[in-house]
Amino acid sequence: MRRFIAVLVAAFIVASCTGSSPSPSSSAPSGAAGSSSPSGGGGGGWDPTSISGPAVLSGWQSSPAEGNALTQTLLGFQSTYPNIKVDYEPLAGDYPTVMATKFASGDVPDLFYVDASYAGTWIDQGYLAPLDDYIQKSGFDTSQFFPGYASIFKGADGKWYGFPKDGNTIAMAYNTDIVKDPPKTMDDLITLAQSLKGTNGLKAPLCLNPGLDRGLAFLFAQGGSLLSDDGKTETIDSDASKTAVQWYMDLFKNGLGMTASDMGDGWCGDSLGKKNAAIIFEGGWLDPSMVSTYPDVKYAWNVMPTGSSGSPVTISYTVSYSIGAQSKNKDEAFVLLSYLTGKEGMTKWTEGGVALPSRSDVPTPQGKDVLVSESSYAKPGSGFMPGYNDVQKAFQDAFTAQIQNKTFDAGPVVSATATAVTKALSQ
Amino acid sequence: MVSQARRLGGAGTLAAPSAPPGRRRGRWLRALAYAILIAYAVVMFVPFAWSVITSFKTLPDSVRLSFIPQPFTLEGWHEAVQTLTPPLPLIFLNSFAIAGAVTLTNVVLGSLAGYAFARLRFPGRELLFLIVLGTLMMPDQLRVIPVYLILKTFGLTAGFGQYVGVVVVAAIAGTSIFFLRQYFLSIPRDLEEAARMDGAGFFTTFWRVMLPLATPAIAAVAILQFQGSWNSFFWPVILLQDNAKKTIPVALYTFRTLSSGFSTNWPPLMAVIVAATIPILILYIFFQRYFVEGLAASGVKG
Amino acid sequence: MTVADPAGHSSRRSMRFSEALAGYGFVAVPMVLFLLLNVFAFFYAIYISVWKWNLIRGPVSFLGLQNYADVLSDPTFQKAVENSIYYTVIWVPLTMAVGLLLAVVVNQKIRGQTFFRAAFYFPAIASSAAITMLWIFMAAPDGLFNAVREGLGLAPLFSLFGFGPNQNWLGDYHTALDSIILLNVWTTSGTFMLLYLASLQSISHEVYEAAAVDGAGPWQAFWHITFPLLRPGHYYVATVAVIGALQVFDQAILAGGPNGDPNNALMFIVLYLYKTAFTDFNFSKAAAVGLVLFVIVFAATLLQRRVFGGEPAW
Repeated sequence: MRRFIAVLVAAFIVASCTGSSPSPSSSAPSGAAGSSSPSGGGGGGWDPTSISGPAVLSGWQSSPAEGNALTQTLLGFQSTYPNIKVDYEPLAGDYPTVMATKFASGDVPDLFYVDASYAGTWIDQGYLAPLDDYIQKSGFDTSQFFPGYASIFKGADGKWYGFPKDGNTIAMAYNTDIVKDPPKTMDDLITLAQSLKGTNGLKAPLCLNPGLDRGLAFLFAQGGSLLSDDGKTETIDSDASKTAVQWYMDLFKNGLGMTASDMGDGWCGDSLGKKNAAIIFEGGWLDPSMVSTYPDVKYAWNVMPTGSSGSPVTISYTVSYSIGAQSKNKDEAFVLLSYLTGKEGMTKWTEGGVALPSRSDVPTPQGKDVLVSESSYAKPGSGFMPGYNDVQKAFQDAFTAQIQNKTFDAGPVVSATATAVTKALSQ
Repeated sequence: MVSQARRLGGAGTLAAPSAPPGRRRGRWLRALAYAILIAYAVVMFVPFAWSVITSFKTLPDSVRLSFIPQPFTLEGWHEAVQTLTPPLPLIFLNSFAIAGAVTLTNVVLGSLAGYAFARLRFPGRELLFLIVLGTLMMPDQLRVIPVYLILKTFGLTAGFGQYVGVVVVAAIAGTSIFFLRQYFLSIPRDLEEAARMDGAGFFTTFWRVMLPLATPAIAAVAILQFQGSWNSFFWPVILLQDNAKKTIPVALYTFRTLSSGFSTNWPPLMAVIVAATIPILILYIFFQRYFVEGLAASGVKG
Repeated sequence: MTVADPAGHSSRRSMRFSEALAGYGFVAVPMVLFLLLNVFAFFYAIYISVWKWNLIRGPVSFLGLQNYADVLSDPTFQKAVENSIYYTVIWVPLTMAVGLLLAVVVNQKIRGQTFFRAAFYFPAIASSAAITMLWIFMAAPDGLFNAVREGLGLAPLFSLFGFGPNQNWLGDYHTALDSIILLNVWTTSGTFMLLYLASLQSISHEVYEAAAVDGAGPWQAFWHITFPLLRPGHYYVATVAVIGALQVFDQAILAGGPNGDPNNALMFIVLYLYKTAFTDFNFSKAAAVGLVLFVIVFAATLLQRRVFGGEPAW
């Protein structure tokens, strides 16, 4: 036994001689492409049509409809800027994982999606290129972006690190065969849900998410909050927030709402499609999925019901197009970026029906009136504070435990979330 | 190959030590044995049958406990075939090519190294073998970034190199060496010594004498590695970034995450699962003897 | 055992030399790959773990053991360790027992032996991603599991344990982990059966005959003869199983995502490592997790050597 350990230790000591000495330097090559100042420069003139070269565009692809919409948009780009050859390479598998290997190796696409939930981390760690010099040179108009979307992609230094490629607000989608008169307030929602309970073969009137993913919208609506206005302290452990969380939890307690998982569904879109629930709270991504998978189910949108806070409120999600700090064709990428997030490109893209415009000057795509109408007041649903993933996780874990233990007490949820928020803010 | 495995097991020991004493009890035990076998076989079989049945159902029908789809529909299959990128034949080709290459390298490198660790004396042998064992204890997630950087240095993260990279990472598993070493240790030395006496070199002895004797173990390694590579998920997701190079598990994962959540549109999902399973099932039916006997005959010899 | 050496002293030395040369040649390619992709990567990971690490710039600031302290004090990590140990302690013996039972039964002189062996091994060769999805489908509230339970009239029995007719096996944190354990017992017991068959078949007939003469029944024969004689088999299977169990990942992420939902029920050490690296983008902390895992696996392996005694394998 002793000999066994001794040999093993020796093995690793020997191995460490061969292994550890090159390791410090091996990080050097990956840092070589760190600088991100745009090339060209000097004269300050910016003529996008004179730029020619390749640009690699990457992202994930969440549905065939999304792929088609992007292809159409890129065709539009190619006809306007024939000198820039766009190479679209959607990444399979887990997007952040694949991107991590790309950052580490320096082999980064020129323009790529960055989800709001990790945008802050990627900006902080320097994986994205600041765009301010380009904005100045090209005169790109950033004022048209809805502030709820745009703010997420600005760094602590106040610079832009990406433009929101689109957005989505959370609204209420309901089965029109079952719900004739959509509720305007949260009280109406409860009354309606009570009358629907146990009818129409529904497993529950509402499909609800056991976390802040959608719960945050209800928290806001019912007068609760997560952070103080200056974003420096948690406010979830307050009476107002606790009441709001308890209200949300009571929807589960009283059988008015159920999670998609408990209905046997992957997400609430499936629940609406399979008629397990009559009312769900989702974003524009619901539409292509309903058309392709559940074409027979009739549904409509309405804005998020107004709660005790008295004013209309909801949350929104967004994704940016960003240029990598190590991207090789930054000029080409910025031309592509300004087309895709500009009025013309975004109009084409949002006509595909997958997402909403993140700019106010883009016409409302067909069938998206309700969702777009929320854009002006929606608050960010992710990416608004550092370490938000941990906060979401803390909330969801505690909330799930309360539901599954049938104790339905908001207290532990609120305190677990408060701890997570405080911890995240202190880092 | 199989008969050789039997011979190798040692005089007659492979004949099943059955026929327990006591005739009446024997009959009881036999009935019990059959009950266990049949019950467990049903447990094995039902889920796969269920996935086949479900793939021909409509979505509302898919959650009903009925064994005949009503109505019978090909829509699930249609959707599966249409949505999968790249097309199914290419996905299979990728999976087969990669699994085949990984199997070959493991067999060749594993038997050479296994033999050396079992029989050849050279300074540092123990230490090197402990490194082999140490690799078994290391989770892939720990080394993904360093390994990716190394592969990148050799140009194995782009273009055709992606295939090479995925094979290199799995080219030789510590288990293959461990397994084959154990097997070589169990082969009597006499034959080998006779060959050496005749003046055969180390490689010739290995190639002419030892390798043929190790065929059951090699079959087992080949099967385990083929199966492992066929199922492999983590490295292909990272390393095979071109759409056209996806393997079956990667395509499955992508298919499930299409649409904004995890889809529970069961019929097409089950169609993909069935489609992913059929080739390995066919392979298994044809080579079942090697799969089962190979592993069984060469497994653990203390 | 010494090799007979027909030639003299000097040729013995050259023999030694050429044997060593052959040895190095035979192990060269695997060892280069291991040294590069495992040993080097391992020490690289240790190196990363003591820094605040940036993917582009590499080491940013020296943290010493801070990452380790952070990891060990994180309740989610503690939960991951607890789950991994629970999984190992339940899954390994259970799968070994089922595998051994199947091996013993299949090893009898019975009709359809080949068929049964083949059938039991089949789940092991199907893609784990496919099998996990199939399992998710069957374990859903309106899935096959609950339907069959209902159909067989077992509902009252299950309600004794507090399970309703629409129990969400993978979605409820009370049952999610056990459901994954069951899934992996199902897929792996066939492999263990085959490994045990090899051991069983190497037990000599005479031993049983002697026992029969002594009047031992099959039950005694199994416990007093077969089971102890299978020790090398137990050791090999247990070693492989424990190492595998402590690294369970695919099923967890497919069923519960990177957060180990529901409520950390499917949070395992490797999943925690994955989440830390690729959701939180904290590579140095992830490297620290990997090393803690390595220590746990190593300790478990040593412990098994103790339990099984001797040096059967290495």
